[in-house]
Amino acid sequence: MIDFFAQHFGWMLNPTVLARQTLAGISNGMLLFLIAAGLSLIFGVQRILNFAHGVLFMLGAFVAVSLSSVLGEGGWMFALILVAAMATLAVVGAGIEWGLLRRIYNAPHEFQLLMTFALVFIMGDLVKLIWGNEDRSMNAPQALTGAARALGVTFPNYRLFLIFMGVLVAVALWFLLHKTRWGIFIRAATNDRAMLGALGVNTRWLYTSVFALGAALSGLGGALAAPVVSVGPGLHVQVIIDAFVVVVIGGMGSVMGALVASLLVGVINAYGVLAFPGWSVVLTFVCMAVVLIVRPWGLFGSPE
Amino acid sequence: MSSQRAWTLLVCTLLVLLPFGLSDFWIFIAIEVLAFALYALSFNLLLGFGGMLSFGHAAFFGVGAYSAAIFFKRSGLDVVWMFTLAPLVAMAVSATAAAVIGYFSVRRSGIYFSMLTFAFQMLLYTVALKASGLTGGDDGITGLKPPGVLGQPLGYYFYALCWCLPSVYLLRRLVLSPFGLTLRALKDDPLRVQYVGVHVRRHQWAAFVISAGFAGLGGALFAFSSGNVFPSWLNWTASATPVVMAVLGGVQSFYGAIVGAAVYVVLEVMISGKTEYWPLAMGIIIVLLVLLMPTGLVGRFKRAER
Repeated sequence: MIDFFAQHFGWMLNPTVLARQTLAGISNGMLLFLIAAGLSLIFGVQRILNFAHGVLFMLGAFVAVSLSSVLGEGGWMFALILVAAMATLAVVGAGIEWGLLRRIYNAPHEFQLLMTFALVFIMGDLVKLIWGNEDRSMNAPQALTGAARALGVTFPNYRLFLIFMGVLVAVALWFLLHKTRWGIFIRAATNDRAMLGALGVNTRWLYTSVFALGAALSGLGGALAAPVVSVGPGLHVQVIIDAFVVVVIGGMGSVMGALVASLLVGVINAYGVLAFPGWSVVLTFVCMAVVLIVRPWGLFGSPE
Repeated sequence: MSSQRAWTLLVCTLLVLLPFGLSDFWIFIAIEVLAFALYALSFNLLLGFGGMLSFGHAAFFGVGAYSAAIFFKRSGLDVVWMFTLAPLVAMAVSATAAAVIGYFSVRRSGIYFSMLTFAFQMLLYTVALKASGLTGGDDGITGLKPPGVLGQPLGYYFYALCWCLPSVYLLRRLVLSPFGLTLRALKDDPLRVQYVGVHVRRHQWAAFVISAGFAGLGGALFAFSSGNVFPSWLNWTASATPVVMAVLGGVQSFYGAIVGAAVYVVLEVMISGKTEYWPLAMGIIIVLLVLLMPTGLVGRFKRAER
């Protein structure tokens, strides 16, 4: 027993390694949060499990890479790239909702799932047609390169920036959902769509805007991830599964749940890589299955 | 009733004569259709008749394929015993896996059932990927071509047919039996069926296990035909395949899934032979299907008949 713990968790006794893994897990978790938040919002309002959300993330990353080859690597240019990726994806998302998804809100589950799968296949191939099959990469802006040192731990500045951006988005989303009229409508729709419509709220516009918001967050996540991942046509695969796990654990429709579960999954992955090399993915699926069995509406969701 | 007998006889005769009019390449495709028809049919037993959208059915197709492959590699039996037992082993292993997965999954209904089955499929996918001692990991298991007459397309076609026809017959009988009728009633109103005294979860669980057994058989038949098994058969993009087939054929009809599987496989062969962008084409087909033809091919045909 002690041998088992020493073998798998011995590294935890080394504070430097522990701190490094925790920070890495949190920064990955923040990226995950950007995708999962949109996925969760969309499920909450539209009751659609959007498998195409990973492709939107990938699209954001490709837009960022293309823009950075034109605009260069300046700090302000990077900010511009982030905003442009968000705007592009908001438009794409609104187009998808307006053209396809709004036609199937009352269809059976299998049609909705098939539709989002069709979007995965179509957009995945369109990305290949536009950007080709090779992996691309881009550099982080110079202002964010380098590393910070504290308490004997060295940590890349860009990773700290990711954590900062995650917190920023979480705060902005909280403000949006609790302090604006639009946000109150979104939360009301998560509770009872029919009632909201009956009260005279334009739900069609609300659905389009929520999907656009979710897509924009995913696009921001993709653009922010572009400097730390290899941007290729397979990027969306792992991303969507992780986001799916996060949304299930956190609770469908809950942004708070998405935040907590993202950090949890990020840290579990970061620890799992050292504790059970090669098998860390299984850990997250086990967590997800356990949550679904014990509390299917997730840690922060509410039963229907 | 007698007209139905005549139809059955006609279709069976056509299926027996079919390969003699086909090139080896198309016999191979016909075998694929048989395996996938069984897979789609087993899936639609849950969706069309039980109202349960299993989004992890590829897991059972994959488990069947892998267990047949591992049995083929490890058991060391002679050819006759091997190919008598391998499909049965595949069915048994798939059904056992489904007994465990189903036990947890049928506790939830609707979208949560779909997500649970999906989660378990991803779990099995990672196991197929990581347990490389057993499954060959990323490379899968290759070299599964049967020796002798079964290695010939024609021989294997009749071998697969010998498994598929009785399976279809059994599934058809199952759908028309009291068990099947109860399952259909459960789809419409589980609460009422419960009042009549049916143990709802146990009934759904039994349907889940049976369905997985036949999906596993489909996987095993396909594994020996293609000669290999890959972990991607269990990956998340594979969960859409049986859904597309069932919806394409029409979920309300028993034979719809078979039509859907045939059309899907033939379309895939024809389109992916011309372009590498088969997913793009399939995506467009799905969009058109969902928006324009929600009752599927068989449903469409029936409506036109009226």
